[in-house]
Amino acid sequence: MAESVIQIEHLSKVFKGDLGRSPSVGVDDLNLEIGPGEVFAFLGPNGAGKTTTIKLLTRLLVPTRGRISILGRPSTSWKSMESVGYMPEQPNLYGYLTGEEFLSFIARLFGLGPGVRKARIAELLDRVGLKDRGKQLIRSYSRGMVQRLAMAQALINDPSVLILDEPMSALDPIGRKEFRDLIFDLKKQQKTVFFSSHILSDAEMISDRVGILKGGRLIRTGKPDELMGEDVHSVEVTFMLGPDAPNLADMGIPDALVQDSRVLVRLDRPDDLSALIHKIESHRGRLVSVVPAKKSLEDLFLAEIGR
Amino acid sequence: MRLCIVALNTFKESIRNRVMINILLFALALILLSLVVGDWSMGHQVKVIKDFGLSAMSLFGLLIALFIGIRLMVQELEQRTIYVIASKPVRRWEILIGKYAGLSLTLLINIVFMTAALWAVGFVMEKTIDFGLIPAIVLMYVEILLMVAFALLFSLLSSPTLSAVFTITMFAVGHMSGFLRDYVVLYPDKGFHWLFKAIYWVAPNLENLNLKTSVVEHLQLQPHAFGYGLLYGLGYIFIVLFIAVAVFDRRDLK
Repeated sequence: MAESVIQIEHLSKVFKGDLGRSPSVGVDDLNLEIGPGEVFAFLGPNGAGKTTTIKLLTRLLVPTRGRISILGRPSTSWKSMESVGYMPEQPNLYGYLTGEEFLSFIARLFGLGPGVRKARIAELLDRVGLKDRGKQLIRSYSRGMVQRLAMAQALINDPSVLILDEPMSALDPIGRKEFRDLIFDLKKQQKTVFFSSHILSDAEMISDRVGILKGGRLIRTGKPDELMGEDVHSVEVTFMLGPDAPNLADMGIPDALVQDSRVLVRLDRPDDLSALIHKIESHRGRLVSVVPAKKSLEDLFLAEIGR
Repeated sequence: MRLCIVALNTFKESIRNRVMINILLFALALILLSLVVGDWSMGHQVKVIKDFGLSAMSLFGLLIALFIGIRLMVQELEQRTIYVIASKPVRRWEILIGKYAGLSLTLLINIVFMTAALWAVGFVMEKTIDFGLIPAIVLMYVEILLMVAFALLFSLLSSPTLSAVFTITMFAVGHMSGFLRDYVVLYPDKGFHWLFKAIYWVAPNLENLNLKTSVVEHLQLQPHAFGYGLLYGLGYIFIVLFIAVAVFDRRDLK
């Protein structure tokens, strides 16, 4: 891998228990490297440590042990955030400001001059679909609009690294599609994107690599294709029954979905396919389709988390 | 620079805050009420008006410290708006001091409004403007800033309710500092003597910032009373904010 953009070494976070409660482990000895231009999806069930890791990356939490560096700068330095854009989970923004005022405030924190600021705000409001809402107070925004504005503020400094915590959680299907397109655009621009998500299909679609976190520990990392494997684990066969076909049980096909004369069978052992085709042909049935099914990211995730 | 950006944003937040506007209107109403209260006094109408007006301003300060000072950071933390700022290339102390500075600017403007109202009431009565009130008002402003600093510190260490209790206690103890000192001197062996002594040394003596009686009664001010009070108050503010910054700097923003 080329020089890492994000480097996490032996990172641990232990939260002290309040009022006599025992301490809890947020992240346990996490090691991870993310390269330039990579889109990395951080997956895990609730409480796995995804948000804790992201807050450690963005200096909101202080690590108990270990170190983080972003673009070669240690995260202990406030300057490490100069080229980073961050969007928190379920963002809350200043309701007393308008969308434009809020973006202007954030742009000033990055030291952007008035000309650049104005152009960037107009461009980003357009990009996130809030072009006509910039002069409205944020308190009048819907949840999805706040999420879009939070995305705009994360991009205001044209960051090299984007850290996004559940970025698609409040978006409708159209918003999710737009967001995926935005990530693809960022990838084309060689931006590094680190995001956590519960929506596994999105993660599978847009990420170069995924990491699965459980109980604060990183249990798997890899490219989705590699993790899911190339092996076909089942086959879905659709066929039409012949005019004089016996019932399916007599044909040796006990589990099937039948609609009129159309039958859908799922074979958990792909090796049984030729036997089934033979049965269909011998009863003058007509084969419609054979669809091999590979393991999905969701299958992998459930298998890993269920262990 | 970033400190100023945070301060200006806090200023914008304050002036759009209904609580702040309501407290200001309440204080202005109290100042106007001093006209009525002054009528009840026999021959000391103007003095009573000024005294009442200055007390209204002082009450305004305490209410701001309680309602706005405590909420200054608590709101950011509870509503999680802090995530967006604290993850930017900004130092934690710039956020904290910037927010404090923004509120201080709002308070300054409010104090100017209230002073103008008090002068207007005084002008109606005396046909003159009493510029002699300025030293007392300046020190009152410093006292308000000190109370806001304490409220801010307490809010980082405890719940909003406890912070309010601590801030009111600090205000009360600060104005009873002379009593504590006398108690310790007069009864060195009484129970809780050590506690009073400790409080006397830790809590600020807010009477050092109180020139109200002197300016209202046109008494000769002690030499350097204003300068000493100013430095004393600013020094205390620095210490309290320094501790608040140290607390906030190490705090996990969960």
